[in-house]
Amino acid sequence: MNGFGGTILRINMETGEIKRTPTPEKFAREWMGARGFVAKTVYDEVPRDADPLGPENILIMAPGVLTGTFAPAGSKIGFGCISPATNGHADSNMGGHLGAEMKYAGYDMVVFERISPEPVYLYIDDDTIELRSAGDYWGMGSLDLEKRMKDDLGEDFQIATIGPAGENGVVYSCITHDFGRQAGRCGVGAVMGSKKLKAIAIRGTKSIPVHDLPTLTKSTYDIIQRTKTHPLMEPWQKYGTALFVGWSNDHGCFPSRNFQTTYHEGWEGISGEKLAEEILVTHKACFGCWINCGKYSRARIPGKPDIYVEGPEYETIALCGGSCGMTNIHDVAYANYLCDNLGLDTMSGGNTIGFAMECYEKGIITKDDLEGHELRWGNIDDFENVLRMIADRRGIGEVLSHGTKGAAERLGRGTLAFAHQAKGMEFSGYDTRWYSAQLLSYCTSDIGAHHNRSWAITADIEIGQDTPEGKAAVVIYLQHIRPLFDTWCCCRLFWGEVDVTAEEHVDTIGYLTGWDVTFEECMKISEKIWNLTRSHYIERNGGPGRQFDVAPARQLEEKVPSGPAEGQRVGVENFEYMLDDYYYNRGWDKNGNPTREVLEILGLPHVADNLEKAGLLGEPFEDGVPKVRGQRLKPKAM
Amino acid sequence: MIIYLRSGRKLHDLLKPDVDQYTRHVEMQEGATLVEILGELGIPLVMVAFAFVDGKVRKLDYAPTDGDVITIQSPVAGG
Repeated sequence: MNGFGGTILRINMETGEIKRTPTPEKFAREWMGARGFVAKTVYDEVPRDADPLGPENILIMAPGVLTGTFAPAGSKIGFGCISPATNGHADSNMGGHLGAEMKYAGYDMVVFERISPEPVYLYIDDDTIELRSAGDYWGMGSLDLEKRMKDDLGEDFQIATIGPAGENGVVYSCITHDFGRQAGRCGVGAVMGSKKLKAIAIRGTKSIPVHDLPTLTKSTYDIIQRTKTHPLMEPWQKYGTALFVGWSNDHGCFPSRNFQTTYHEGWEGISGEKLAEEILVTHKACFGCWINCGKYSRARIPGKPDIYVEGPEYETIALCGGSCGMTNIHDVAYANYLCDNLGLDTMSGGNTIGFAMECYEKGIITKDDLEGHELRWGNIDDFENVLRMIADRRGIGEVLSHGTKGAAERLGRGTLAFAHQAKGMEFSGYDTRWYSAQLLSYCTSDIGAHHNRSWAITADIEIGQDTPEGKAAVVIYLQHIRPLFDTWCCCRLFWGEVDVTAEEHVDTIGYLTGWDVTFEECMKISEKIWNLTRSHYIERNGGPGRQFDVAPARQLEEKVPSGPAEGQRVGVENFEYMLDDYYYNRGWDKNGNPTREVLEILGLPHVADNLEKAGLLGEPFEDGVPKVRGQRLKPKAM
Repeated sequence: MIIYLRSGRKLHDLLKPDVDQYTRHVEMQEGATLVEILGELGIPLVMVAFAFVDGKVRKLDYAPTDGDVITIQSPVAGG
């Protein structure tokens, strides 16, 4: 089959049995890769009552159709399972070089089943596949282990690892690769740890069969020529995503001190400009990328060892930086390094520590909980202490290891109101009190609050920051197009920033596979995946969908106290209006449950049957599916 | 004096490039700030995330000098 490695692997971690089966072309065409493969396989195979960290959950590793090809930055690989953070569908992806290497070894998906009796790592060298003892590696930091394994196996192996947090089941543990690329979200690292799988090492030396190599080569050459002179290439290369720290502050959406306010006094000290001036060592790129948005940095803090880290990116700056009250880029880079090496997502990790700092400020967490330490805004020593307690699940670290929602449920005392999460996964680095479409994006997201599912702040500005009207359809458009890149497995930056269109990516898929594929077909696949993961969440958690689409009280009710967004809040009435509008535009009922009509249009009649059996199928519309279903409003600036 | 404003597709319709597909030349009075220049061109300030001049990010109160090549970007994709 053109465009793919050709083989799916199933590894029973308990017995060590390894099965190889050819990748069915129908499966590949229908689900396209990573996010699609995960959604379909996890829905079909994981029992509804399976413990996310138990033997019945599976962990999937899958690149996508564009991984390892001439597509711009076709670098991505996805990991998926049932999330221990949300108890729903999880998919999280990373750049780097692992995905390409896996396809060059000939594999499109690895499914890890059950639990190994001992710590192991997966070794793949083309056709040689082994589970090897990881006894010597267990307990090591993610970055330290990657270096060690490169030394042990050779530089040309691509390595993915987990850190101590993943071994210990912290629900926002990540999987790390390439010394700073993470599948950070959804707690995929905890699921990997639950299987006693410490690392994955892959070397592939084969090639990917291509349908029309001359056209693919010419098309890619044209894209390279066009984009290398694009005016935005230079700023992206120089600063990476950290460029937007200033803009977010100027527009009142930057989280400061656990989202207490949305303009961070001292943000200049943690800006992209400060990064470039003070800590940048070199630029770094993923496979097949000529933007080089990765920034490799060195932090120097008196009394601590100098550290090197990839980052910090915007999200890390916002959540480990602003949300934890930091104003020094060295401190943020050091926090980034600690999270990476301990194996914690910098986004949920920073968000959770910001939450804990507010709890400390309010006297809900005390020095007695912190082994005698304090937990002050902007203090890197305090940050380090509590982060290590979380990774070890020690003392208050055990409470915080469950994320902000889990911690708030354990702490009580009204803390849920300022736990910035949706469905158990923490907000990305954008406050939403002046950006209601972004709040709708977070709260309706199938994996929990994550900007990569829908980043709607531009839409808020275009439509009007004070109105809830007209936002649902735009959010749906974004929820289909943005995760499409996580399905194809190429980076969004070429599309979002330097004008390579989604249609051009679809053309690339055609040259690669020989499929007569269209952009509309891809968007419908994305909508199908969204309806599948939504249905899965409802089935697993047993209730009308609406009850899970909940916003933090602070975002709805507390007015922003300072900065450009001073006085703003979304309001319960506006939020409920947007939810109604959103469900209607999706063709779901008022409870937020998918209807049979929509599921059948999308080719998911068995999912409708399952929802019906569980009493959770959406009520049909009297006049049929709303005509607006599938109508997608594209923001003008896209 | 003359400056050159550059942007990608997101601001193309507002910028109306006339030098090449990305670039518009603008004649302006000395001392005018980017806020004033963008206002004259009808480009909403909220649609400009930053300006990039000679390798540096500039705020929109920056007053260009003759011959400046200024890249402007809309806040589109998110991190």
